[in-house]
Amino acid sequence: MADLIQLLLNGLSTGAVYALFALGYTLVFSVLGVINFAHGAVFTLGAYFTFLLIGGAVGANGLLAGFQLPFALPFWLALLLAGVAAAVVSLLIEHIAFRPLRERGADPLLALITSLGAGVVLVNLIQLLVGAESYAIPTSALAGLPAAIRLFGAQVRTVQLLLLAVAAVLLVALSLWIDGSRSGKALRAVAEDASTAQLLGIPSGRMIQIAFGLSGFLAGIAGGLVGLSVSIAGPYFGIGYGLKGLGVLVLGGLGSVPGAVLGGLIIGIAEACVPAELSGYRDVVAYGFLFVVLLLRPQGLLGRVLPTKV
Amino acid sequence: MDASLLTQMLIGALLGVSVYLPLRCGQLSLATPGFYAIGGTLAALLSTRVSVLGGNDPTYPISSVLLEMVLAGLLCGALAVGIGAVVLRLRGVYLAIATIALVEILRVTTLNQEGLGGAVGIFGIPQPFNEPSGYALFTLLLLAGICWLCDRVERNRLGRAMAAIRDDELAAACQGINTERTKLVAFVLSAVVAGLVGVISAHFLNSWNARLGNFDASITTLAFVVFGGSRTWAGPVVGGLVLTALPELLRPIGDLRLIVFGLVILVGPLLLPQGLINPALIGAWRHRLPGRRASAAAPESRP
Repeated sequence: MADLIQLLLNGLSTGAVYALFALGYTLVFSVLGVINFAHGAVFTLGAYFTFLLIGGAVGANGLLAGFQLPFALPFWLALLLAGVAAAVVSLLIEHIAFRPLRERGADPLLALITSLGAGVVLVNLIQLLVGAESYAIPTSALAGLPAAIRLFGAQVRTVQLLLLAVAAVLLVALSLWIDGSRSGKALRAVAEDASTAQLLGIPSGRMIQIAFGLSGFLAGIAGGLVGLSVSIAGPYFGIGYGLKGLGVLVLGGLGSVPGAVLGGLIIGIAEACVPAELSGYRDVVAYGFLFVVLLLRPQGLLGRVLPTKV
Repeated sequence: MDASLLTQMLIGALLGVSVYLPLRCGQLSLATPGFYAIGGTLAALLSTRVSVLGGNDPTYPISSVLLEMVLAGLLCGALAVGIGAVVLRLRGVYLAIATIALVEILRVTTLNQEGLGGAVGIFGIPQPFNEPSGYALFTLLLLAGICWLCDRVERNRLGRAMAAIRDDELAAACQGINTERTKLVAFVLSAVVAGLVGVISAHFLNSWNARLGNFDASITTLAFVVFGGSRTWAGPVVGGLVLTALPELLRPIGDLRLIVFGLVILVGPLLLPQGLINPALIGAWRHRLPGRRASAAAPESRP
């Protein structure tokens, strides 16, 4: 029983990060129909921002060697600010890599490349500034909380529970916003058909910016949380999550919010179930799932089938 | 120019052509690095483990390299027929994601199978040429052959069918084009080209590991085509040559080079949405070369 709970919690907390990640993709995909390949870099940035804001010092490499902010914020505040900073970067990416193409009515495929270029720039900028070494956000940042607690006889890391809780709060808030609020409905209208929405008086451009901002915020928070629960394994560490997030996205159904959550949890738990002696193959699980789902149910678990239009 | 940089550039151009072929019929497949890795691993295994091929000779026989290329071409082609039949039912971004998944599955499997080199890779792959210029010449010949082939294909029925599918798949099917088969042919050709390049690359690099066929490679090769243009084979060739050379030529600026490379990929499509070799440029060329005009203009005159 204790083992099962342990396994389930491991899976759920990883899955929650995947879900946050995939939601960022989904928000942008649903309004623009393209995948933002700079998303992984924004996630990485969120982790570094959090590290710096809690008062972490930059290592010996990079241009900012030894740099440390003159203040140290509590973890929660740092995470929140990192999320906001990531949102600002995401808006910037929209402005530089997406908007010019959209205004010109260019092939959506090009946004794939420009966003990738933005991602390459960001990742290498991080490397230039703070070096390639890995950083760890110390769990002592969570002042006052015990490192682990007992739950039904299982030893559970507090960090994992926190990760799960934060992800759950964000996901619920996002779903409520999209389904219930006026601006959420406007976003869905833009997702349905941007030009019709525009004709009906919904500022499409503004809604697209909101989607990018939210997507960046979610990625930044996810990055900070992973930095806390695992570590920041260098400027490239967002790429692996980025690819997994893509898998989660398709598994749940492109553009579906509950689908992204479901997909994240399924893949997280499935990965946690991979026995230790086969751990090298853990990454295959997500892609294997993805491949099978694409072939059997291309619209994903909770996606909609769109009829072919002439 | 340095012959080994030239070889890298030519390899880049060939990989660009491999991504371009499915894209000519509107299919965004990112499977090229997967087949590239299959070709490379096959060449690495054969030349280091099968002594009959001459791995212990002072110089590795070119006939053995050619044999490896035939085997890699057949293997990649056969795999592509099977994979393509399933994967090509997917459209647009779904196909792209499925092929990314495929490349990742191949990479992780290679990484975990000691027999395929595992995490360490395969070292000491025998050299058929003593000088880098030998590789450059060999790769150039292959590129020239494949470009010639692409040029023929673009002017015949198959190439026109491919372009028709890119413009409108439904309309192409209504006109009696077998869209399934045409897309499959393009996918198989792409896989074969990538497999052949893998063989050359394994010998040229002298060692092979699973990291050579990863997601980064998928995106870099796609950038070749988008940057160069996807209307004709010359686009990916130019894109591959330029974008492979760029990080090397930028080496003097040190740590900034990858940032500049990223900026080029970011700004390139904004300035030249149809790539370097775009329809306007092709039109201007045809105007200059009246001899080629009749044959070159024919495919475009069809709807």
